[in-house]
Amino acid sequence: MHILLFKILSPFLGLLFQAPGQGRMALVWERAQNPDLSKFLIIGALLFIIGVAGVLTRRNIIVIFMSIELILNAANLNFLAMSRYLQETGSVNAVAGQIFAVFVIVVAAAEAAIGLGIVIALYRNKETIWVDEIDILKW
Amino acid sequence: MILSGWEAVFFWVFSIAAIFAALLTVMARNTIHSALFLISSLISVAALFIILHAEFLAGVQILVYVGGVMVLFLFVIMLVNVGDEERGQEEIFNRSRQVTTSVIFCGLLVAGLIYALNVGYDGIKQRDVATIGETGAARRAQDQTLATSATGASKITTGTEWVGNGLYRFGALPFEIASVLLLVAIIGSVMLARTLKQEAAVDDVAPDVLREEAIKDSELLEVKVTE
Repeated sequence: MHILLFKILSPFLGLLFQAPGQGRMALVWERAQNPDLSKFLIIGALLFIIGVAGVLTRRNIIVIFMSIELILNAANLNFLAMSRYLQETGSVNAVAGQIFAVFVIVVAAAEAAIGLGIVIALYRNKETIWVDEIDILKW
Repeated sequence: MILSGWEAVFFWVFSIAAIFAALLTVMARNTIHSALFLISSLISVAALFIILHAEFLAGVQILVYVGGVMVLFLFVIMLVNVGDEERGQEEIFNRSRQVTTSVIFCGLLVAGLIYALNVGYDGIKQRDVATIGETGAARRAQDQTLATSATGASKITTGTEWVGNGLYRFGALPFEIASVLLLVAIIGSVMLARTLKQEAAVDDVAPDVLREEAIKDSELLEVKVTE
């Protein structure tokens, strides 16, 4: 168990402990000056997590929809970062990331239209936008 | 792909802006504030798209999300806004036990994701370090041959042309399916959002059925009077 925990924490610990011949802050500063693919992926992961937290914790159904938009947007950021990376390696599949991002935006727009239609119909029938009060399907 | 100089500065500015705006979207008490913070988050991500040389997607992001989807969100907020939330009469989060569980879950998820990203990126970097050196030099040489823009300040890139070519060569069938999906979404949202009265008027309900329903629902009485 503690070995697993150490494996998970090791990238963070690597930043905390000094690298040989270099100060900790100097190493962090050097890495921050030249952000690469992994920084984009980490920003995407953070946006995704914020969206997931919004879906799980908020009571307002409209804010939950906005959090879903955040999640889809984080996925788009990852697609485009990977597409850029594949362009650098000269892969022929590089354009697929950008094409897929277009379709993600299309699906997000369709999902927002349908979801907000459902919200309006629900508000007309139940007079509420709090998800813990919408429990008609609960046995 | 390693950014340097001003590109790195703009990367950090826009990514920190995107993350803070996303946090405020989730935590804002007023729903309108949430929507406005989400707009600023989306614009920051569009700037990151430009740093990633995806100019077309950045434009689409601002036109579709900020110009279309977020305006739709603001309309719906104004239609259903109850106002109890910002007056402090309603709790904006779920019960504290649910919130604690989901925050712990999200913390574990982000730790796992960042660990996997670091390990996976090291592997991918080792695999591709040779090819990136080769094609990077070839790409820089190719970029010198691009036409200069009218102001002379920059080169005209061919990224949008490249995406358009790919979309019609490799993505023609998904493109058509996406158009059908949008049609279904339009018809579906019109169906869902109409009132009971409009529904009865359009669906050509028989008068006696309408009369029976009208006893249960006072909104339908107006239709009966006009007939």
